[in-house]
Amino acid sequence: MDAALLEQMLLGALLALSVYLPLRCGQLSLATPGFYAIGGTVAALLSTRIPAFAGTGASSPLPALLLEMALAGLLAGLLALAIGGTVLRLRGIYLAIATIALVEILRVITLNLPFTGGALGIFGIPQPFAGASGYAGFTLVLLAVVCWLCSRLEQLRLGRAMAAIRDDELAASCVGIDTAAVKLNAFVLSALLAGLTGALAAHFLNSWNAKLGSFDASITTLAFVVFGGSRTWLGPVIGGLLLTALPELLRPVGDLRLIVFGLVILLGPVLFPQGLITPQRLQGLGQWVAALGQQLRVRISGVRRP
Amino acid sequence: MSAAPLLKAAPLVEASPLLEVEGLCCRFGGLLALNNVSLAVRPGEIFGLIGPNGAGKTTLFNAITALTPASSGRVLWRGQPLAGSRPDQLSRLGLARTFQNLRLFDSLSVQANVVVGLHRFAASPLLAALLGGAAVRRRQRQLEQRALELLALVGLEDQAHLPAAGLPYGERRRLELARALATEPRLLLLDEPAAGMNPAEKNDLCDLIRTIRERFDLTVMIIEHHVPLMMRLCDRLAVLNFGERIALGTPTEVRQDPGVIEAYLGSAR
Repeated sequence: MDAALLEQMLLGALLALSVYLPLRCGQLSLATPGFYAIGGTVAALLSTRIPAFAGTGASSPLPALLLEMALAGLLAGLLALAIGGTVLRLRGIYLAIATIALVEILRVITLNLPFTGGALGIFGIPQPFAGASGYAGFTLVLLAVVCWLCSRLEQLRLGRAMAAIRDDELAASCVGIDTAAVKLNAFVLSALLAGLTGALAAHFLNSWNAKLGSFDASITTLAFVVFGGSRTWLGPVIGGLLLTALPELLRPVGDLRLIVFGLVILLGPVLFPQGLITPQRLQGLGQWVAALGQQLRVRISGVRRP
Repeated sequence: MSAAPLLKAAPLVEASPLLEVEGLCCRFGGLLALNNVSLAVRPGEIFGLIGPNGAGKTTLFNAITALTPASSGRVLWRGQPLAGSRPDQLSRLGLARTFQNLRLFDSLSVQANVVVGLHRFAASPLLAALLGGAAVRRRQRQLEQRALELLALVGLEDQAHLPAAGLPYGERRRLELARALATEPRLLLLDEPAAGMNPAEKNDLCDLIRTIRERFDLTVMIIEHHVPLMMRLCDRLAVLNFGERIALGTPTEVRQDPGVIEAYLGSAR
């Protein structure tokens, strides 16, 4: 497979996980592209304007990338912490509208700041890796770590509280869960993940402009999660990978691809209202694999015995 | 759990009240759902709340648990006013409740529902918990074990790993009770726990409520429509009608109260 496409898919999966975290506690936040844009802008500015991050000419050292990702995540997380308390008082579709507004405000600010390159953006972002495969390898490791953390989170107090709030916020508060704090936690974690993903994406794309964090991106990243499923971390990962790859894989059908892509996004929720991946389906798959393994073992021992 | 202190069934001495409701009013637009209701619940008693439909029983529960703001009046917990508290803060103080229209966490397993109820006792630093040290795993096992014990108490231990959404009605009621007990309350508010149960199940429920009161050193406030059951179960009863408290006393006193007879049977004219 094309390493550049793989890298895009992996970045899509990371963004999908960022949308998933608030959605796991029932919060329809579309702010992910806003925090992603903050991350991208921070990385683009640091690595093109500050010699210590830029390295030698076109290539930048890996520690600089890691530091940029950390700073980008931190900045996005802090912004989420600052506005989360207010924004998360809104529920359902109103929260979605407020977070879309946030994304647009950030986009317009980036467009008009004197040092972010206006509509053209920032070019010539130095490369920490020689080619797309280097990025893909690095991002694969990052995604694996994030997935592992998400799977741990789901087993823990915070993850359980998030699911409880999604199911019934009032009952959750009555068993002693500080629902506002849990929702804020999820929002900040989401922003942090989107911010560091943006920093990585800025290097991979080699240029960064305000258009990369727009309302369109809000809807696309939400589609990842709706398509893949929001019950467990694997859903958004699969959704992000598949839906990022699909438009590229459909290139042979020409202009028809946008129609096919739209159809898939439309039919996904119709055929799988809970998303492609649900805990029940995973359990079923696990049992099927276990049964298959059992059968194989019987067959192998049957061959050996006579 | 077995080492819970024993409790006298009905306190003979007048203890200072655990919960006091003073002149509570709840107004929704033109409707006065609660009109100047006052009562006091003593530690260790089973306090019943009866009254015709729409009398304001659930509204009183909602006002006590901070789900509905009171228009005037106040609620005191061990003599301290509860004004402005959030439901999760009340849970930490020791108030737990069940809901008339069952509110379970349907996407979680039966056991996980109870583990969520143990939220307060599960605190650990997020980063340490994410990395999952041995101490965190041990704590997790303790929580799951505790949840199983509570499920066994309400007879649901065999269903622990089923999704809560699939349970039949009566078992959902018992699961909600186990989840409320997980928060280790001092005062448990039960909103129509026997609704939809047959007479045998209602008897079992009575026994269960008495058992948990003794084992957990609980005070219980209970709303229930089945009057004979309430007469047997409760130490004292308050009767609400159209948002007003029309009677308060022991089952015998309440049964003979002319106002109560009128509210339930209509006036003899």
